[in-house]
Amino acid sequence: MGIKRNKPGISTKALKPDKLSWKEDFRKNGILYLLFLPVLVWEILFHYLPLPGILMAFQDFSISKGLFGSKWVGFEHFVELFTGSGFPLAFRNTVAMAILSLTIGFSASIIFALILTTFPHKRFRRLAQSASYLPNFVSAVVMCSLATEFLSEKGAITMFLSLFGADKQNWLANPDIPVFWLIYTFIGIWQGMGWGSIVYVASISNISGELHEAAAIDGANRFQRIWHVTLPGILPLIVMMWTMNVGIVLKLVGGNILLLYMPQTYDVADVLSTYTYRMSFGGSANYGLSTASGLFQSVLGLILLVTSNKLSKRAAGYSLF
Amino acid sequence: MVESSSFAGHMANVILGLVLLLIAFCSIVPMWHVLMASISEGRDLFAKDGLVLLPVGGLNFEGYKLVFSDPSILRSYAVTVFYVVGTAGLGLLLNVLGGYVLSQNSRLKPFFVAMLMFSMMFSGGLIPSYIVNSRLGLVGSPLAIIIPGCTNAMAVIMCMNAFLQVPRETVEAARMDGAGHLPLMFQVMLPQGKGLIMVTVINSALMAWNAWFEASIYLPRQRKWWPLQLLIRDLTAKNQDFLNYANPDYNRYLIQYVVIVIATLPVLLTFPFFQKRLEENMVVGAVKG
Repeated sequence: MGIKRNKPGISTKALKPDKLSWKEDFRKNGILYLLFLPVLVWEILFHYLPLPGILMAFQDFSISKGLFGSKWVGFEHFVELFTGSGFPLAFRNTVAMAILSLTIGFSASIIFALILTTFPHKRFRRLAQSASYLPNFVSAVVMCSLATEFLSEKGAITMFLSLFGADKQNWLANPDIPVFWLIYTFIGIWQGMGWGSIVYVASISNISGELHEAAAIDGANRFQRIWHVTLPGILPLIVMMWTMNVGIVLKLVGGNILLLYMPQTYDVADVLSTYTYRMSFGGSANYGLSTASGLFQSVLGLILLVTSNKLSKRAAGYSLF
Repeated sequence: MVESSSFAGHMANVILGLVLLLIAFCSIVPMWHVLMASISEGRDLFAKDGLVLLPVGGLNFEGYKLVFSDPSILRSYAVTVFYVVGTAGLGLLLNVLGGYVLSQNSRLKPFFVAMLMFSMMFSGGLIPSYIVNSRLGLVGSPLAIIIPGCTNAMAVIMCMNAFLQVPRETVEAARMDGAGHLPLMFQVMLPQGKGLIMVTVINSALMAWNAWFEASIYLPRQRKWWPLQLLIRDLTAKNQDFLNYANPDYNRYLIQYVVIVIATLPVLLTFPFFQKRLEENMVVGAVKG
């Protein structure tokens, strides 16, 4: 679901740290702590109690023996993951779709914003922009069933592609590279392009008109103005948004795949999160493998988030935490 | 902005206009297709290929009749509303409590913030969470849809920021008047920070309305507690089952389209009212940064 684009900026510095002793603090803030109790309990139950479960990744876990009675197997599950057939493919697919999402998917919103802001008719522009918001409010289930229908043998997109000589087929069942990857990328663009363009449109309209006028007087045409005035103006925002996307890319890649893939396309469509899911539930469930793959995913996500945050801080002076 | 009046400039405008038109068309047409299909004649629709821009085989509302006379679909609608209200309500309560406490100075505050931050970055994963929820007796219970996902660290922190923006004088004045924590929280600070907080409420309501995954894990066999989205997933997967009957009722083919319409239209009709606020929120977050 993306990340809330609000600047958290936790500044404890702004408030004066009038150091009280613990006793005084509890007398003064005891009620505050009591008020925090529901949040604390919720946090512990649903975020901290599951953490010890990670140990299952290093165990031959059995429910009857529990977390502390099960046999330790070290990194056996990880070895199994990386030498097996499913997980390396899922990893490759994750990387491929992440790259597509961070390049084509990411630039779509920027290009759309550039088109919108250079188009002179205000009312038509507003209309197109409002229309482009609609897909953002369509649920994942509906979006994927639309995709399934439009890409089926009788679907509208299949018909359209057949005009250019493509075979009529169920595109979602096509196991060739990179069919599924592209479908997934374009579904993401369909859903996110309009909504994602909001920040760029706002940032572009903040660029002073004088710069554009000066460039126009100097004889710069529209594309030169975009290249020399607009793009440099929004570059810090682009850098910030891109690094933020890198940080959450594992969440971007995966959400809808459970609704789109099928056994024929597992080899190209499986990603880390769907692999973990299939190892967790259903016929081939394996708790050790699933926890190991989930842990790998969490650690990779953490590394990406921390790295991208560092990069963003350095390049754009903006950081999430 | 300066516009060139040359011929090339006009041509460029025409091309850009066509591209915008195409984007608008692609954004609207899939939902339009579903809306038109839902009021088509079932048998003709079943035989039709490609895009449906107008009802096929004449107007036909039998699909809607089937859906609105199906108690399981109506129940699922009510269940979804229950999940949305429960999630957004409980989430709001936790966000306001958490945000308020974190907006005040105390010695445990840095510890609380660190705890929330860590949970935002690292999670135990699917199976460990499932096992905890099952120990808590949530598997098979509709509460599994509401309680674990009612909020997240990010929303609590957004709330904290909303409260930190309330002018100190306002808070001090209320405190002088003898307002305790609860009145201060709900009567003074909540109205002041309502812009930001409303965004968290809208986001969590929208997310609850569109959720299906949690229900598929925690209520796999409790069909009567399925939210609409999970039901849609099931109905579209089985959309050709009606053909197995001796005398197939082709109107049953329309059901999948009708449920998509009734699940999506409420959101699309209400979002224009929140559009400005949500847009502003995104811009404030990104452009200031």
